[in-house]
Amino acid sequence: MTTNSVSAGGDPRRLLADVRALARRVRVDRRVTWVALLALAVVTLAAIPIDWYSLDADCGRVLADGGCHIRRLDRAFYWLPALLVAYSAIAAYAVRVARARGLGVRVLPYVLTGVALAVLSAAAWLLASLYWGSHPVPAHPLPSWMLVLDGLIGPAGTIGVALLVLAWLERNAALLVFTLGYLAVVLVPVDSVRLPPFGYLSDLLLPQVINGAVLLLGAAGFAVARRRHR
Amino acid sequence: MTAEVGSPDPQVSPDHPVTGLDDVVHQRVRLGILTIAHEARRVEFGYLRTQLQLTAGNLSQHVGVLEAAGLVEVEKGYAGRRGRTWITLTAAGGTALAEEIGRLKLLIARVETTGTREDR
Repeated sequence: MTTNSVSAGGDPRRLLADVRALARRVRVDRRVTWVALLALAVVTLAAIPIDWYSLDADCGRVLADGGCHIRRLDRAFYWLPALLVAYSAIAAYAVRVARARGLGVRVLPYVLTGVALAVLSAAAWLLASLYWGSHPVPAHPLPSWMLVLDGLIGPAGTIGVALLVLAWLERNAALLVFTLGYLAVVLVPVDSVRLPPFGYLSDLLLPQVINGAVLLLGAAGFAVARRRHR
Repeated sequence: MTAEVGSPDPQVSPDHPVTGLDDVVHQRVRLGILTIAHEARRVEFGYLRTQLQLTAGNLSQHVGVLEAAGLVEVEKGYAGRRGRTWITLTAAGGTALAEEIGRLKLLIARVETTGTREDR
């Protein structure tokens, strides 16, 4: 940088490149991607024991494939407050980091997006519960679109959509790639894996373990990348 | 060499993007300050100094020019016991930055068009 005015013959391409580089530098300095992923991984993994003890399984009710009718009560009392607390914690940390680095930060779009998605997810779950309470349970296997929709409005899918919005707001290509991979893990239906000591519980809890592990690995990856970058 | 941007030049047509360049904004350091302030919403003096690799006095001069033009607001305060100076972009600053970037893009487009014609 010089203190002289730019000459009329100055290269506008270079000026524009400088502008873009500075804007990118600010965005990178403000990012707290690894903390966001860590907080969401903790919320996901903490849900496992809660899910374990709060599952309402009715195995006396005969379904088309002879399985159990299962209700996940944790959606009612765990996920909504947990996600709200996680998004608030991430926003508070982002403000603290930005201030320490000498930058302002716009947290409202992040918080509003996270809260809106968490509330929408809870409302969708409530509507689905009311619907299936008065309608016959469809025969298994369920259609793929129904499984994808269920995954998308579920807590793991909501986290994925929130991360997509974060990647867009931060123009963070690495987070976008990671989130697409995470959503693929969450949304692509896989065949049931039943581990003998856990029975039907392994069907339900194993995906949560995988989702939490993916988020945790992502947090570790972004933390290492940040350390190297600095 | 200091540009007399906007001065009448018979070689430059009135609709050329160069004629609309603002001398206050069309300067690398000041353009950098506006860009960072725009992206960060609010930026601390020390961050600007590090990113733009300037001395405190030099940066103060540029911030002063922008403040006098009404493009930024300067706020002094404390973070604990340490004095801090925060720079915030004004609405006029945001407009000036957007216009400058628009003109730079126009200039690049003009240069590329001229270059293509000359190549033929």
